[in-house]
Amino acid sequence: MSGRIYWNGTPVPFLPGENAASALLRAGIAGFGRTPTGLPGGVFCAIGQCQGCLVMADGRLTEACLLECREGMRLSPRGGMNE
Amino acid sequence: MNEPVVLVVGAGLAGFSAAAEIAGAGLRVLVVEQAAAPGGAIHRQPLPGIAYPVASAVHRRRWTQVTASVRAQGDRIEIRYGCRFAGLDHEGTALLTGARNALVRPRALVIATGAAERVRPRPGWTLPNVMTAGALQIRTKTLGKAPDGRILLGGSGPLLLAAGAELVKGGNPPVAIIEAGRPFRHVIGSLGLPLPYLREAAGYMATLLRARVPVLTGTEIVRIEKRSGALTLHVESSSGGRTFDGDLIGLHDGIRASDHYAAASSIPVMRAGDCREALGARAALADGRAAGAALVAELTGTVPASAKDSSRIERERRAQRRLARIFGHDGSARLAALPADTVICRCENRTVGDLRALGPVPTDRDLRLHGRFAMGACQGRFCTEWVRALTDPSHAGSPLGAVRLPAHPIAIADLLDAGGIADNPSTGE
Repeated sequence: MSGRIYWNGTPVPFLPGENAASALLRAGIAGFGRTPTGLPGGVFCAIGQCQGCLVMADGRLTEACLLECREGMRLSPRGGMNE
Repeated sequence: MNEPVVLVVGAGLAGFSAAAEIAGAGLRVLVVEQAAAPGGAIHRQPLPGIAYPVASAVHRRRWTQVTASVRAQGDRIEIRYGCRFAGLDHEGTALLTGARNALVRPRALVIATGAAERVRPRPGWTLPNVMTAGALQIRTKTLGKAPDGRILLGGSGPLLLAAGAELVKGGNPPVAIIEAGRPFRHVIGSLGLPLPYLREAAGYMATLLRARVPVLTGTEIVRIEKRSGALTLHVESSSGGRTFDGDLIGLHDGIRASDHYAAASSIPVMRAGDCREALGARAALADGRAAGAALVAELTGTVPASAKDSSRIERERRAQRRLARIFGHDGSARLAALPADTVICRCENRTVGDLRALGPVPTDRDLRLHGRFAMGACQGRFCTEWVRALTDPSHAGSPLGAVRLPAHPIAIADLLDAGGIADNPSTGE
């Protein structure tokens, strides 16, 4: 399935089978908000090891690099929800 | 599928070759893979419908072979993508999360989760658009084309050359490759490498030369800065310093084995491939088969025809040692000279200064309880090596604290969704 996901309400297109991290990076979105201690969040290892690309996806905190895009999925920076 | 007899974690070379070996003995196998497609890091497959100009012919041949061996086993092997292994408890119950949460009770477990990429801490390495070279490789392989923008690769190791060549094939040659070692000085040493290694390296070099990608050896990354929307990479060699501007930086300082799943359990657990010992793709195939054969022997009492191919593993081990010498360089001075505000622990934002404040010889308890090193969400995967190097190099390689399950953060909802194993009639509970 290809279609659109939403980052902070802004539509971002995705390719069939693409993960959220890849779609966001292709759209020029590299900063995924801030970690709870203030570092910039974003893709680092891309294989689910570093926890750097955590985002809120439909209300759940999850690694964007392992999250397969679904039509209409709503993503946002993790904000203060991590702890 | 009923309860699998063997659970295999990871659908890369080692996991697939182990699965084929085990299923070949008539046992049911469940392979779980966290990504949406198989291949692991090296053989990551492109998204559906995307042409694949990036992989070399050797790589394609190897992958075709191993996937055919998995297919040949028919429904004895089930593969679940988007499914993560969160851990195995002492009674042998495994928690799977992701696509479908479940608790399973296999009779044995194979962990084939691949290598970890080493990345040295440097000022600016936490900036957005600074990632591992492996992350750039995965993007290039899955999309069938290189990411846009000016790309810089830096650190040390043969993977930088491979990644650079893939970016060329993907249509966007890197601006430069910054290599701290001096691999081209070791001509005689390089000739001792097995022929396939030399052929592979020559292929990468030819691709990079054709695209006129500068490869700066004996050159170290000093820091990365963000300047008016772009990234500036400061490098230094014996002939002085210079800078490169780019939009995307891929860092890499080698690979190492990685095991964050090692809990004692009542069932046999085997590790296979780079997660056991980082020996590369050729060894991973043989290692997966060997792990599979050993498990079959343990579960059925019969030793499969394909006995452990230890000569293969030993050959790859020698080749990897030689490669390590060829790319070898002493990075300890650079590490020791890092500015105090350089982040070491990315999860908890702990710096070189925070580490020094713990005194000259901090205990593991100091490091964890007071320093909060290796206490973050990644469980020390990315900081432990550098914390050890800066405080107690004699303990290099030893973990900072015990491995804790789950192997990655999970939501309480994952546990609730997983249901009970008592629901499953085949466990007899």
